[in-house]
Amino acid sequence: MKVGFVGLGIMGRPMALNILKGGYDLTVWARRAESMAPLLAAGAKGAGSPAEVAASCDVVCSMVSDAADVEQVALGASGVADGAKTGLVFVDMSTIAPAAAQKIAAGLAERGVTMLDAPVSGGEVGAINAGLTIMVGGDAEAFEKVRPVLGCMGKSVTLIGGPGAGQVTKACNQILTGVTVVAVAEAFNFARKSGVDAAKVREALLGGFAYSKILENHGQRMLDRNFKPGFKAWMHQKDMNIVLQEAHRLGLMLPNSAATAQVFNALAGSGMGEEDSIAALKLFEKLSGD
Amino acid sequence: MRVGFVGLGLMGLPMAGHLIAAGHEVAVWARRPASAAAIVEAGAALCATPAELAARSEVVISIITTSVDVEQLALGPGGLIEGFAPGGIHVDMSTIAPGTARQLAARYAERGVGWLDAPVSGGEIGAREATLAIMAGGAATVLERVRPLFACLGRTVVHVGEAGAGQVAKACNQMLMVNVIQACAEALRLAGAHGLDAGKVVEALAGGSAGSRVLDVMGGRMARRDFIAGIQARLHHKDFAILMEEARQVGAPLPVAVHTWQQLNALMGLGGGRLDTSSLLRVLESPLEKLS
Repeated sequence: MKVGFVGLGIMGRPMALNILKGGYDLTVWARRAESMAPLLAAGAKGAGSPAEVAASCDVVCSMVSDAADVEQVALGASGVADGAKTGLVFVDMSTIAPAAAQKIAAGLAERGVTMLDAPVSGGEVGAINAGLTIMVGGDAEAFEKVRPVLGCMGKSVTLIGGPGAGQVTKACNQILTGVTVVAVAEAFNFARKSGVDAAKVREALLGGFAYSKILENHGQRMLDRNFKPGFKAWMHQKDMNIVLQEAHRLGLMLPNSAATAQVFNALAGSGMGEEDSIAALKLFEKLSGD
Repeated sequence: MRVGFVGLGLMGLPMAGHLIAAGHEVAVWARRPASAAAIVEAGAALCATPAELAARSEVVISIITTSVDVEQLALGPGGLIEGFAPGGIHVDMSTIAPGTARQLAARYAERGVGWLDAPVSGGEIGAREATLAIMAGGAATVLERVRPLFACLGRTVVHVGEAGAGQVAKACNQMLMVNVIQACAEALRLAGAHGLDAGKVVEALAGGSAGSRVLDVMGGRMARRDFIAGIQARLHHKDFAILMEEARQVGAPLPVAVHTWQQLNALMGLGGGRLDTSSLLRVLESPLEKLS
């Protein structure tokens, strides 16, 4: 099976490298030529456009910034649909709105291309270690076909449902991680302002029902005051925006997501957008008299 | 003045009527020509396309629903931009995204056509009585040319700033107003839960520091249990998507507004989108009950 990869940024580059390590014949394209260099050095072929990638591949993965980019790569001029052979499976691994994923999937279906939405969780570290969690929406047969390729990038690969279901799952992931990061920051601020050692609070709570990976990992980084990303606050802001836009479209009440999104707005607006989203702790400290 | 008018809804129809009454030569275009029947009877000419309307008008005023509608009207096939002579002016009085307003202003500027975003506050009553508050974004010279038209439509005209500024002001207006509607709903929910007569509470508060126009009008509707629009909640719901997107772009936390937005989402989810926004009270009273 020949594999293509479009979008070679912080996430896409290590993901594509892991596909190469899996022994696949890989063709890549990125908007900037210098992004392609490390892949070409590792043995991938370069192409001049997404259409050219599609023409020589059975599966094309993409990892880009937003829905407009995915649409451009899939359906734009010299996009995947322009070059695709019959039966091509396009796997978009970017995080975009479920409604946008469904719309692009429908546009591709009209042109004979099957799309899977397959956003990931696990960040740059997960991308490098091939330890991503991959949540997939779309056709079951197409999923079985590409599963071995996804297996090169992640340990946990799950088909959730039809088109858009992967993005819905990713949005759920962002609700839970976003709200929990903010909750841990609130709890630590509350503890410290009450004169109690937040490190001891964390240690005590790890054994109980409030245990979570975020309390354990993000909590430790808060105690270390290590605000390096990780997952940047502006990216979490973007993802929470997808959640709130969907809530608006569907008429859903999401009060905690709504409040969390405002915390990320405040981080972005006060120059902390490039820090990890745990910088919420610093914001709460300032707003509590520090 | 030769004036074009697009958008003959609850707001637009009386506004176009005022322009005719003031002696302006009004022509209209409507997506459904039937909706123009009343204004044509009142003396307006009917055009077949927006381009045709723009070609015969010095100024075209639009008041329609969404950013996409306005974009389509201006730039779509047979759109206004195809018909305007240099020096023409498009005054958009719809409530749309500031970003869309800025983009349209730039596109028109390339052709020497003027732009104003001039959204209004005051609702259907304000439109009927020509007492609207108009908040304008765009070049001052353009505003001066259309001031005589605004004088037929509203009582106050404030030049807020460059293109898009009118829409930002309108977003602030909507946020302030609906946040206060939600606050009124919460106050009357608390009063109602204690068995108080909501009408008495509104009357008592109106005289004090919590008195406001929203309390008078929307609190009054809540007290009378008069939830028929009025202002359809779905329109305020639309406005919140715009203003929260603006807040996201500039990184401004809006902790109260974002919760008001969720209450509006709940109102939509309960099927109350076509009811008056005073129905936010009913989301608090009976969150388990469908409203339609």
